[in-house]
Amino acid sequence: MGNTLIVDGQYNIGHICTRQQCEAGRAGRIAMRWVTPAMERRDYTFADLEAGSNRFANVLAGLGLGRGDIFFTFLPRMPEQFLAFLGALKLQLICGTLFSNFGEEALLDRVGDAGARVIITKKGFLKKLVAIRHRLPRLQYILLVDAPEHLAADILSYPRLMADASADFTVPPTASETPSVLHYTSGSTGKPKGVLHAHRSVLVQNATAADILDLRPDDIFWCTADQGWVTGTSYGIIGPWSLGVTQVHFGGGYSPELWFRLLQEERINVWYSAPTALRMLMREPTEFYATFDLSALRHICSVGEPLNPEVVHWARRILGKEVYDTWFQTETGAIMIANRPGLQVRPGSMGRPVAGIEPAILADDGTAMAAGESGNLCLKEEWPSMFVTYLNNASAYASKFRDGWYYTGDTAWRDGDGYYWFQGRSDDVINTAGHLISPFEIESALIEVPEVAEAGVIGAPDDLLFEKVVAFVSLHRPYEFTPELELKIRLHVTNKLSSVATPHQVVPLETIPKNKSGKIMRRLLKARYLGTDAGDLSTLED
Amino acid sequence: MTILEELTPIFQEVFDDDGIVLTRQTTADDIDAWDSLSHMNLIMAVELKFKVRFALGELQSMKNVGELADLVEKKSK
Repeated sequence: MGNTLIVDGQYNIGHICTRQQCEAGRAGRIAMRWVTPAMERRDYTFADLEAGSNRFANVLAGLGLGRGDIFFTFLPRMPEQFLAFLGALKLQLICGTLFSNFGEEALLDRVGDAGARVIITKKGFLKKLVAIRHRLPRLQYILLVDAPEHLAADILSYPRLMADASADFTVPPTASETPSVLHYTSGSTGKPKGVLHAHRSVLVQNATAADILDLRPDDIFWCTADQGWVTGTSYGIIGPWSLGVTQVHFGGGYSPELWFRLLQEERINVWYSAPTALRMLMREPTEFYATFDLSALRHICSVGEPLNPEVVHWARRILGKEVYDTWFQTETGAIMIANRPGLQVRPGSMGRPVAGIEPAILADDGTAMAAGESGNLCLKEEWPSMFVTYLNNASAYASKFRDGWYYTGDTAWRDGDGYYWFQGRSDDVINTAGHLISPFEIESALIEVPEVAEAGVIGAPDDLLFEKVVAFVSLHRPYEFTPELELKIRLHVTNKLSSVATPHQVVPLETIPKNKSGKIMRRLLKARYLGTDAGDLSTLED
Repeated sequence: MTILEELTPIFQEVFDDDGIVLTRQTTADDIDAWDSLSHMNLIMAVELKFKVRFALGELQSMKNVGELADLVEKKSK
């Protein structure tokens, strides 16, 4: 892995994705074709990425930031996101990316925990940050990508700073263990945890972009993931650009018409998307697809949630393409188990392990399960893209490892031929449309609504989203559940956390079932909602 | 007050942005927080405010705020 990737011990991701590509003769090659929602194109060569990220590294250095400081991007899909990310890594900062639909509480949890010193955002998002600024004592500067002039001593214009910054920057030698990218992930209890990676992750991101996504030197690649999530950085930035591959990035949202125009007009060779998006596309009439020329597209890859066999069969039948499901987590940093070209696809399977990765199915006591038996999906520790820690939460990090194995929190089984098959989660974390959502965070937001006394949140099976968020609320007397209150509840969650955390359904209950120590019994809520056996109820409070 | 003017405070509340100024041409691409999930909040808010109900097909074919305003006006009659 990566035998020609690391030159003179330089592991810096920002350097590898820009300068190293220029030195390899790709300075004039298009690194990114940026396509606006109105389908206008703007090209950035690898030389442009190199100069722009150098300028941004100089901007951050000029603000007094240096190795190990924490910087966040809080932007929708836009070119500045990429220059800021790569520039921050060049300076050896830790770069976190925040999903652009995060609300105030979600931002506070992440930026506050990390102790970030600088955030780059846009004017439209400033209100959210200003509202929590007094609770972020370490935040020194907010940079605005769309402010032509500085707004205050600590709210600065990105265009102005970039115009004054040099395009020359020498990336310091960066060791493999130097901290790099930070993504927050949700658990079933407590606040989101900051998953910290090191620059060595590029080894697996590069190798899997080549071997699993099957990216080739002259390919054009499109990854639809938002840069706020791990797929958006590992495969929307690092993997492809470390190979010198051209990427298309689209600023618009889901649109069958625009998406298929992009695939056709940009002659995209490999497309990486999510099962929910593919399932939404299945709703379009067959005739719709007949109008597009997809001859450049070799295959589709999928990530985020289990890919149901129907999607694989649909893509073969309607698009004439294979869909390869891939599996990884924020903590793994890169694809660990996957279907891929050259390996027979077993529809519904996660595929087989990536070279050098050793998964296992283990019982709770660590005993290895036989083929066909379900258990904890684990990975032999020390894979090159393994996360470094959960920021400020060493005990949570330690709790994920036992006897040399990382417990992923997913359950699965392995067939006799070494294919892995996803079963579910071993905790209450909800996977909706590929986003992992903490029921605890939603419950905390729900009880902030004055009318709500108690709340319990579950993930319920959904044909489109894999799981949907269902919230159960009991109200203070004398409030009654009305459509107006339901809207109020929904808006509160959307604006405090994010749209992806918003309950699809809010169900009023007299009381929320809890055990004798006061813990919400989500298992019971789920069983009642699904009409299944609730199992052992001996711990239920009176 | 026009339907468009009545829709403006609804959009501002749903997307938590007092700065939203609607035109008939406004689309989801013009409002950062407007995605498929927050769209459900918007539709619920519009239905409650104007006491109308939308069918799924009607929502899928709407291309901009102007078409939403026209649909509200038609259903309010």
